Amino acid sequence: MFRSSSATPQSSLPLMPAVVVFAGLFVLPLVYFFVISFWSVRARIMRPAFSLANYAETLNEYGGVLSYTALTAGAVAVLTTIVAFAFAYAIRFRLGRFGNAFLLITLTTLFGGYLVKIYAWKSILGTEGVLNRALLGAGLINEPLGALLYSTQGVVITLTYFLLPFAVLPIYGSLRAVSDVTLEAARDVGAGPFKVLRDIVLPQCRGGLMTAFTLSFLISVGDYVTPRFVGGGAALMGTFIENQFSIGFNWPLGSAMAFTTVAVTLGIVLAVDRLLKMALRP
Amino acid sequence: MTGLRLSHALWAIFAIAVSFYLVAPLALVILFSFNSSALTSLPLTGLTFDWYRRLMALDYFWPALQNSLTVALAVGALSVIIGTLAALAVARMPGRRAERIIGALSLPMMMPALIIGIALLSTFVRLLTIRLGIMTVILGQLVVVQPFVIAIVYARLQTFDWAVVDSARDLGASPLAAFFTVTLPIVQPTIVGATLIALAISLDDFVITFFTIGSGNTLPTMVWGLVRTSLDPTINALATLLIAFSIGSTVIALWLSRYRG
Repeated sequence: MFRSSSATPQSSLPLMPAVVVFAGLFVLPLVYFFVISFWSVRARIMRPAFSLANYAETLNEYGGVLSYTALTAGAVAVLTTIVAFAFAYAIRFRLGRFGNAFLLITLTTLFGGYLVKIYAWKSILGTEGVLNRALLGAGLINEPLGALLYSTQGVVITLTYFLLPFAVLPIYGSLRAVSDVTLEAARDVGAGPFKVLRDIVLPQCRGGLMTAFTLSFLISVGDYVTPRFVGGGAALMGTFIENQFSIGFNWPLGSAMAFTTVAVTLGIVLAVDRLLKMALRP
Repeated sequence: MTGLRLSHALWAIFAIAVSFYLVAPLALVILFSFNSSALTSLPLTGLTFDWYRRLMALDYFWPALQNSLTVALAVGALSVIIGTLAALAVARMPGRRAERIIGALSLPMMMPALIIGIALLSTFVRLLTIRLGIMTVILGQLVVVQPFVIAIVYARLQTFDWAVVDSARDLGASPLAAFFTVTLPIVQPTIVGATLIALAISLDDFVITFFTIGSGNTLPTMVWGLVRTSLDPTINALATLLIAFSIGSTVIALWLSRYRG
């Protein structure tokens, strides 16, 4: 052995291009965008300043939207995480050799197309959509149900649909690490299925659960396409942020709204992490 | 024993129901793209290719397709080179340090695409005063695609036997020669798989493209425009093309990494 297999200065050089991309196209834009949130706008032109007015406006004008967003995105994230856990649990422990087939379905639909998936639900839930036509045809309703499309439910169903494959994978990943030997040992000493789940399975896949929850929550909060297609009046924070860039042209306010949303979201994620840690103490 | 049977059956029903929820909406989109009725509703009325003909007759379809392919090929090539180099560097670091670096580089996956998109928009337009176009779309997508490539290649390298590379080096091969004659052939299926996943993500990206393209279209921004202006199954034809591209490359990628990697 002439060279050690651990890191040498030379061996971290190939990492540099990735670091440059990350720093130049992620860190730098976010820092600059954060700076903009303190600027002001006069006569539709951004001017450098140091003012907290945009944050004050965010809290005053959009406080209600922000709480509604947190509740809706929270509902989506909880629902997605629970269904994803049950599905991943079934794949790992309950479906035997068929488990792999279901995993393959999940992986395949993962990249099935973001806009395409939302459009699919628009054509299912719409007033002229599959569901309304089927209900009309069956004589169960006399006129199309608008509430299917233009509602919070539409947003929750569609976002959960889109996020589910992304949530299944990290949970399945952590369930794969749960050893069958431990489970059998627990059953041998008389632990019931609920106790096994509560004391062994759930604590060991906490990381996967948190990844699934965080991902679902963050993506829902920032989504502006789903509310536009299937939400009707049910617009989330993402819609109002996007408006500042497409029709409002108040970038500083949009920036303050974006960072406030991220801060609130991260606060909630940390709180949920804390709670889960306490609840799942073995 | 019947209790156990019953619980098995219930789990199977649950799994089938979830799979149905995952697959049915996409299947409907594809089905309606071949359905002769202008309404997207059941029952089906007959087979037609009219919606595809109509899509191809749209004068902005071909430039959008060309833009999508240009961006995807550029992002695929760049991200796979940069990501593989990074994964190789990180894989030989001590575990904790490697995980911390991967964690940091994966942050763009967790940030809502909307925020990355508008942050890039303001940086390109205001700070760097670059003209928006295909170039800025490529740069914007690169930062969110790169973590997927790093994660995929890094995962493969976890079970990689570095002794074979060390032997090559001990026998006098230069680091580059060792890479091209030993490392690359072994991890090649994984790298091809990662490229295909990168292509799929790039072809499918809407939000970052939407904010960084300026004028012009890719296939997803064209879907956005069509949904807002028309509601006939031309959208379904376009959506089916996108599904074919992204699911096609995912399936090939899975097949490569599963049976060869």
